[in-house]
Formats: sequence, structure tokens, C-alpha cells
Amino acid sequence: MHPLTQITNEIVEIFADLGFQVVLGPELESEEYNFDRLNFPKDHPARDMQDTFFIKDRPGYVLRTHTSNVQTRFMEALVQSGGKPPFAIIAPGKVFRNEATDATHEMQFHQVEGLMIGEQVNMSHLKGVLLDFFKKFLGPDSEIRLRPSFFPFVEPGVEVDVRVGDRWIEVLGAGMVHPHVLEAAGIDSKKYQGFAFGMGADRFLVMKYGVTDIRLSYQGDLRFNQF
Amino acid sequence: MKISYNWLQSYIQEPLPSFAQLEEKIIFHMFEVEEVEHVGADIVFDIKTLPDRNHDCLSHQGVAKEIAGLLGCTFKDPTEFYKIPESSPTKLVIDMHPDTARRYMSRIVRTVTVAPSPTWVQDHLKSIGQRSINNIVDATNIVMYDCGQPCHAFDLDKIVGNITIRHAVAGEAMTTLDNKDVVLTESDIVVADDEGVLALAGVKGGKKAEVDTNTKNIVVEVANFYPNFVRKTRSRVGIFTDSAKRFENDLSPELCAFAMRELSGLFVEYGFTDFEDIVDIYPHKQEKREVVFSTGFINKKLGTNISDDEVETILKNYGYVYEKVSPKSLLEKSSDLLALLGQTFSNSDFVYILTVPELRFDIAIPEDMVDEIGRVYGYDKVVPVVPQLDFVPQKNPVYESMKNARDILLAREYKEVMTYGFADKGEVRVLNSASNKTALRANLTDGVKRAYELNKGNVALLGLNEIKIFEIGTVFTKEKEEIHICFNLKKEIKEMSLEEFNTMFSSEESILQVFGSPRFARPDHSEYLSSFEKIEGVKKFKMWSVYPFIVRDIAFWADEKSYEAFIAVGDSFASKYCVVPMKMFDSFSKEDKTSYAFRFIFQSFEKTLTDAEVEVWWQELLADIAHISGITVR
Repeated sequence: MHPLTQITNEIVEIFADLGFQVVLGPELESEEYNFDRLNFPKDHPARDMQDTFFIKDRPGYVLRTHTSNVQTRFMEALVQSGGKPPFAIIAPGKVFRNEATDATHEMQFHQVEGLMIGEQVNMSHLKGVLLDFFKKFLGPDSEIRLRPSFFPFVEPGVEVDVRVGDRWIEVLGAGMVHPHVLEAAGIDSKKYQGFAFGMGADRFLVMKYGVTDIRLSYQGDLRFNQF
Repeated sequence: MKISYNWLQSYIQEPLPSFAQLEEKIIFHMFEVEEVEHVGADIVFDIKTLPDRNHDCLSHQGVAKEIAGLLGCTFKDPTEFYKIPESSPTKLVIDMHPDTARRYMSRIVRTVTVAPSPTWVQDHLKSIGQRSINNIVDATNIVMYDCGQPCHAFDLDKIVGNITIRHAVAGEAMTTLDNKDVVLTESDIVVADDEGVLALAGVKGGKKAEVDTNTKNIVVEVANFYPNFVRKTRSRVGIFTDSAKRFENDLSPELCAFAMRELSGLFVEYGFTDFEDIVDIYPHKQEKREVVFSTGFINKKLGTNISDDEVETILKNYGYVYEKVSPKSLLEKSSDLLALLGQTFSNSDFVYILTVPELRFDIAIPEDMVDEIGRVYGYDKVVPVVPQLDFVPQKNPVYESMKNARDILLAREYKEVMTYGFADKGEVRVLNSASNKTALRANLTDGVKRAYELNKGNVALLGLNEIKIFEIGTVFTKEKEEIHICFNLKKEIKEMSLEEFNTMFSSEESILQVFGSPRFARPDHSEYLSSFEKIEGVKKFKMWSVYPFIVRDIAFWADEKSYEAFIAVGDSFASKYCVVPMKMFDSFSKEDKTSYAFRFIFQSFEKTLTDAEVEVWWQELLADIAHISGITVR
């Protein structure tokens, strides 16, 4: 199995055990699902051609920059089919950023994003779920800490660090889902609330297995399948 | 942004904590600190302000206000200390075309002396890595790094006619202060006189009215330009300045008046006396904004038990203007307030109605106050709780079918690869790629074929009998994107949709027919790949050598005892000279003796090995084997 598949499966299985449902979505996505519904303002820098791949001859379409598009699509479909929260989903998949590549940057990489919405889902639950995850994923001694951060689709937003040995490493972004994101999907943000988080699988390969260059993942070279 | 410890201290009544303690406060309650640097007697923090705080925190005063609030210290408001000059009536005419800027403040200062800046100004700039130019330019920079408002000064005597803020005419040209010639488009906003362009609005000043050592009279600009115009222009012309950075992050037009007061005060300190009245074009005044929230609302979002007192302490420390009211009593007075309160708060005992500070564009909805209170209170105090959710997850059919396909192939000794989603050829292309590959792959075959060839050359190193690989991935055609699976059957590369694969191989017979039976008993195990698992007992990635490898095989007859002796010799030899452990690739028995064949692979991480070098080592092995009785090399 490819190391990225292995690490993604590992992550997904831990969340599945916590009651998260796996959801997938398209890699070529409209700006509406990739940006608008996630509360990205029209002039947000992420919408620059320098950062995001826009599709030629298809205005308004991009290669998704995160798997958050899956969240917006899942919530919309749920509401349209007469469903409502609570729910918990986990969305693994390939995402794209238009940037020059080096040992720690690649134009394509793999993300796993989670979303949990209910009437009372709050930040202590976000912390509980992530701590539980890291204890299973990296070992029972794992600790996490939260720092203030900002992403358009959450408020408050936090950056999460995990302790590996005696070092703290920044591993993911998270926060309480912004009410605009819920409303855009047709979910009453006065009644429901919840959290979202997103992590890079490629980065975990570096952290957990000491991979020195993330570009090696996509060479098709079996010498990479070391685990 | 670079923030000086001493500069911060000048705004805070009490002594600041040590820089290490301060750094920790900043990291866990405000922003990331990218670097801490000692500059002379000062300490400078390189702070990565969060995008939603670039409205008010790309400045020393902004960060000082934050720190004062966080530490419960007193922010020394400098406003009253700025000396207000006496001024005379002005004939300055500013013509601001509609929708070119939010505000344009300007004032003429006559009989100025252009000279080196006072030492404190030079020191302030130096501490944050800025070059001192002259007292006028430095004053505009000090104001920007101090309060966040970019300012500009023109040489009044080089300006012909009136100052106009307008769209550029397509093809219009200008030379910037740093001598860059720029051709403009209609989407650029310029500050111009009757002859031509004085400045690229909010981005960069022009050569035409540059302040130089002969300058006698100046006109200063303190304006608020629209973020989107500034961002478009600066990215098109490729000039990224500290001024552009602030404007594109959206500043409050209210900041202009403050900055004009600060700048004028600095000029008074310089000894300038001949000031004219301020011209202020400000067609749409920024509206007063309020936000309503309650302690209960914050606790509901954070899962905390923060008290009203704790909330109020934070609000007071930050100097927020607020009212604590009972929604019921308010609603009795006026039903208009219902809209402000919303359903969420109409049943609360008490709510806070907070007047949003003018510069704080990040505060608009109650959730923004959850952030504001939560980060100061401290996310470390949020207790982790694993939630119980009344939700039954369903299996995802696509994910399951990928797993199924992968399992079928893995059981048949296939190994999974991933190749690039970008290709030279394809039906769908991206615009403006950082790489030269601009097409999205229309098949997996091309990538898998290349991977097959690459791995075939390493088959001995990998310790495999043959290369069997597959990839599962998305391909793009004009009509749709689709998940495909691609694998090799010997040299032949097969590709189909994931759906077709799972239909085709839905029965054991069909799998058996194409792939043969799974050989769990003797998997085609790769010594090369598994060897890495042995490093210190934990799985750690090891980069392979980029140099070619050399293979040597040995075959011999041995009995049980001599075979064991060989294993000891061979293992120790391989660990000394080989890149992977030795591997037995053949054995058969005849009467009481058995023939064994072992493979050794030599590879250096430093250079290309020669046959002669390997031969010397090989002879060493043969000599050692010669000492084992009962072994006959074939």
C-alpha cells in the first residue's frame, strides 16, 4: 500500500471509530463550493491565480484547495433530502495549490477534514476529539495545545500543536464552524453549531515516519513504499 | 510585522514582562511570533498578525493596545500629547473622483527644512529594519509603523495645478520613487496634478513631486484607498510596499484623522510652524457598529464556565465601551432592538451591547466575541470532552469500493503507487500554473507505465521477482472527472474505471482468471522495503541512494550445520558491505544435501561503485566461506 494511503486510512479509521462518516467529493470544483459557501470574501487572496489553479475555458471552476468542499456539499445534500444535524463526517482526499515545489511543498497533496455539527457541539468537544485522535495516532502520551488563528470558515479559529517528544509541532487548523457556512448550506445557525478541522496527510508522513521530501510520494517509485 | 519591545513599552504604563514571557503571551493569546531578534539594546518580535487583525494590528499602537488588554495594563493614549499646530486658511484644492478612495486628507506645510531625522526617529526605524531617508519621509514612515496608516509627502512646488484622485488613463506612464517606469491601466487609481501622475495610489509615490534636499514646501497625504484597487495594482505592477500591504488589508477611514494629527505633531516637534488648514474629503462616514452577546452564548460555543465577572474584566482591560442590559427591559422600551438582539439573546438574563472600536473590522457578529473572549481567557482552560452524538454513520460506497479494489490487488502481491495529477497532455487545462505541466491527466496509464519502467530497473534491489503495481486516482475529461484504477499484467498496462473494475472482479472466479490465486503463504516480500522497518525498532523513512547498485549471486551445496555457519558469515558480510540484507532466492534438495542460492546487493550512498571495488569485497566473502567445512560453492 502507498504510504499516503496507509496514513490516510489510519487517520480515517480512528475517526470512523469515533462515529465519523466518510464522505468524498470532486477534485475539480466550482468557486461556489470551494470558496463562496465557506465564507471566503470575493477578493480573498486565496482566490488569486497565484495560489489556486483555475480551469481554462471554465470560468468559476478551480482545483479544490481543501476538502472543505465536501463539507458544504454534504450539508446541502443532507438538508435537501430532509435531514438535519447531528452528524459527524470525515473527508479525505487530494487537494491542490498553485505553488513552486520543494521538499515541503507540492502542488498536490492529501488532506483529511472533519466536521461535527449538533445542538451542543462546542470547542471542548473539538479538543476532546482531537486529543483522543492523537493519543491513538501518535501514542497515549500525546498532548495538544490550541493557539488563536483565523480561517474564513470558522469563528473562533485555532491552530493545533501536538507534542512529539519534547517538541511542539503545528499540525492542523480548526475552529467552530462560522454561522455563514451553516446558513449557506441551509442549516439554522441559531439552533446548530459545531466544529471543523483539517490536517495534511503528507505532513504526517514527515512527522510520523520522518519522510524527508514530500515530493517523493508522487514519483511512482516503490522504494518509497517502506512502511 | 516587526514590533520593537521598546516602542511597545512607550505605550504601556507598567513595565512589560520579560521578552520571553511576552512572547508566550503573544503566541497563546494573539498571534504567531516568527522570530525574536536582538537589535542593539532593543528586542524585536517578527509577529505574524492574523489576517482578520491586519486592519488594526499592523502597527505598534495596535499591538500595544492588544498587549495592554491582555496583561491588564494601561495603554497610554498618545493623542493628547500630539502638539496641534496653528494653521492658516488654505487654497489647496483636492478633486477626488467618485469611488476612487474612501477618504483623502491633505495639508500644506510651508518653509520646511529637509534634514536628517532626529536620533530617536532614526533609532525607531532602525530597530524594525527600516532605512532612514530624511526627516520628512521618516515622519510618514514612523506614523505608518506606529498607528498603521500609510502617509505620503509631495514637494508642493513640483505640483502643477490641483491634486486629483482619479482612474489612470490606459497607457498613461509614471516613474516611481525607486525609478521604475510603470505603464498604467484604467483599473489603477492615481494621485495626479494637471500634468501627470504624482503617485500610484496607496502603492508607491512617483518621481515627479519627490521630496528632496531642496524642498521648501510640502503637501502631505493621509488617505484611505480601497483594498481591491490597491491589491490589483500592486500585483499587476509587481510593487509590494508596506503601504500597499496595509491598504489591501482594509483600514478604517477613521484612522486618517488620527494619523494626520500624529504626523502634524511630529512636524511641530521638528520645529515647522507654517501649517495650512487640513482639507478632508470624506463623503461617506464610517457608521457606528454594535454587537450583542452574552456570557451564556460564549460558554455554549466554548464548552466553558466563564463568569460574567471574567467577561467584564476582559472587556474593561481592553477598554471596550459596552452596556450590560436585560433584554426584557430593553424590549419594553423599543421593539427596534429586537433585530439587534436576535432570537438568540431575547431570552437571556443579561446581554452586553458592545460598541465596536472603529478599527476593529473583525468584530461583526456575536461569534467574533467568542473568539475575542475565548482567546484571552485561554483555550488551555477549555476541558477536552469526547462527545456522544446521536448519529449513525453510513458506509461511503466509493470509499468502500476503492478499499475493495485495493484489497484485491494487494492480496495478489501488487503494490500501490501514486503519480502526478498533472500531465503534458489532457483535455482539461489549468490557467497560470507554477509548473510547466498545465493539463490534468486524462488517464493513469501514462504515469503507471513510467512507474513500471522505473521500478523494473530496481527489481533486484527491491528483492522482488517481478514488478506488479497499481494506482487508484482521478482522471479528467471534458465531460467529467472519474476515479480510475490502473495496473500492469506483466508488461501490459490495464486501465478502467473503479466501477468497471469492481463489476469485472465481483466474483472469485473472475479474479482468479486474471490474477491467479492469492499467495498469502509465500508473499513476494521485499527485503529492501522491510529492511527499513528494522531501524531502531520503529518505522522510519530512509532515503535511498541515488547511485546505481551491483548484484552478486552465490550458489552452494551445504548441510544443515554448514548452512547455519553460512548464514552467520553472510549476514555479517551483508551488513558490512550491502545496502540490504542478503536474500535467498533459490533452494532445492538432493539426497542429504541442499543447494542454496543467495543474492547480495552493493550500493554506496556516496558514489558509483565499480566492479573492481565489489570484487575485492566479494573475494573476502569467498575466503570466509572457504573456512566453513561442508560447503561446496557451485
